[in-house]
Amino acid sequence: MDKEEWMRKAAQCVMDGDEDGAVELANRYLEAGLNPVEMIEEGLSEGIRKLGNLFDRGEIFLPQLIVASDAMTAAIKVLEQALPKEKKGRKLAKVVLGTIEGDLHDIGKGIVATMLRVYGFDVYDLGRDVPIAKFVEKAKEVDADVVGSSALMTSTQVGQKYLEKALREAGLREKVKTMVGGAATTEHWAKKIGADLHGEDASETVMKLKKIFG
Amino acid sequence: MRKYLTRRGDGGRIEMEADEIIRDIEQGTQDAAERGKIARLSKSDTEHLMDIFTNPNRIVGVEPGREVVLTDDIGPFRLIIDQGNSAVGISLGNVQAIQIHERGYGMDTTTFAHFDASFKAVKPVLANVLQEFENALLNTIIPIYFCCMPNLGAYYMPDGPFPNPSDLMPIGKIKEALESQEKTVERATNDMIYISEALASIGCDGVNFDTVGAAGDGDFLATLRAVEHVKKNTNLSVQVGMASEFVLGLHGGLEYSGKRLAGMYPHQQVKVVEKAGADIFGPVVNTKSTKSVPWNLARAVTFCKACSEASNIPVHPNVGMGVGGVPMFETPPPDVVCRVSKALVEIGKADGL
Repeated sequence: MDKEEWMRKAAQCVMDGDEDGAVELANRYLEAGLNPVEMIEEGLSEGIRKLGNLFDRGEIFLPQLIVASDAMTAAIKVLEQALPKEKKGRKLAKVVLGTIEGDLHDIGKGIVATMLRVYGFDVYDLGRDVPIAKFVEKAKEVDADVVGSSALMTSTQVGQKYLEKALREAGLREKVKTMVGGAATTEHWAKKIGADLHGEDASETVMKLKKIFG
Repeated sequence: MRKYLTRRGDGGRIEMEADEIIRDIEQGTQDAAERGKIARLSKSDTEHLMDIFTNPNRIVGVEPGREVVLTDDIGPFRLIIDQGNSAVGISLGNVQAIQIHERGYGMDTTTFAHFDASFKAVKPVLANVLQEFENALLNTIIPIYFCCMPNLGAYYMPDGPFPNPSDLMPIGKIKEALESQEKTVERATNDMIYISEALASIGCDGVNFDTVGAAGDGDFLATLRAVEHVKKNTNLSVQVGMASEFVLGLHGGLEYSGKRLAGMYPHQQVKVVEKAGADIFGPVVNTKSTKSVPWNLARAVTFCKACSEASNIPVHPNVGMGVGGVPMFETPPPDVVCRVSKALVEIGKADGL
């Protein structure tokens, strides 16, 4: 099998959500003495990129995306055995994520969390109706790179402003990138409250964070 | 080169030259065409849209004879509530607010809503809701819809009895997540039917199933099943207004009348809504806050035109904060709202708004 065929098969296993197939392919690939980084970056990642685009266009759905992500994770676990120590288990960045206090809408935030995991971020999803202090506490605890908050309603989005203040007071603001999202938010709102980034949807969120940490 | 005042999708004022407006219109209609696999706007449609944007007047309107009927989404309620940073907050009761819509605004129809506006929340206080609603019906002649959301999210833990798919899926319990959604569909359908039948018993004019699909394809399925029952068993008029332009596939495998619901765009959504027996369909096209209003409106009109052409029932697109080409801004600017309304009616073939 030539390199192109290995990569095509790896991408296909991810797209099919075929965890067993992905693991078997990864094992055979290592037995053939080939470069594991290439399979991760040009095979498995290509599969997940294609699925991400299809998800964005409403052509595949959340369960398929999660199953595909599981297949990719399982294959990476195998390939990691052959990686140098410093590259094992490496994540792009640590992201603390939650829906702001008072807001119970967490479906969109859940999709963002899934997409970020799929693309290699280490996500700490705090859930919904999350008190400001909990964002700060978690960011400290895990040494976060990004703190993201979601707000669906205009009546709750003001909490994102308070989060900025709380992170400043805790001495974390210079250390983390802050990101706001949710239906009620805009880039203008992010600028107004001093957040670093605005994510219009899950794909844009991933794209913006990959630009910084990828 | 002359510049024209318009807006960004977040409401900010911008000035654009004619060439820039045309470029954004072309890109907006192209985006809708590619996503929905529908026709782009024709040359005459884009010229018409261009005329609307370059009209020097702040306010524009449809030509005489092309006026359409208006429905609202908890309009009376907007007069009463104060969310801290939006809405009006006037000391009024529901009945007075409805009378203002009837006699002050001259609305064609209006809505009555419970504070929470979700069927699940209304059920335990239904008797109180019915009492106040009946009072409104007895003091007005305007058709009043009961406006309420299926809001399947409220049925999942910790708010409801069913395991939350958002918790199950990340830990790999896909099968359990799908089963939970299926059970939730049954419970939500029953609640919507129970409440609708009670509304029919006090002489309610209709039910506006609002923000449908917000919790994914299960949300949509529960609504369609409830609508089918309500239309077969009551005299209620039924509107179905969507939450977003495509149905989010949180389940992915749910079907109505043999059609998979996940991933449906407005021109496909309207066909299943029609099949369920609804009287009016309200498509939603989401506004992208970083793009211009010409880009967003061209996109919204493209989707709505395809929807209207596919539909055999009246289509009333949602026009408001963050939908239909209107900016994501708490008090949508009138210069945009009137242009959106005109474009959706004259080009998007809307029957109402």
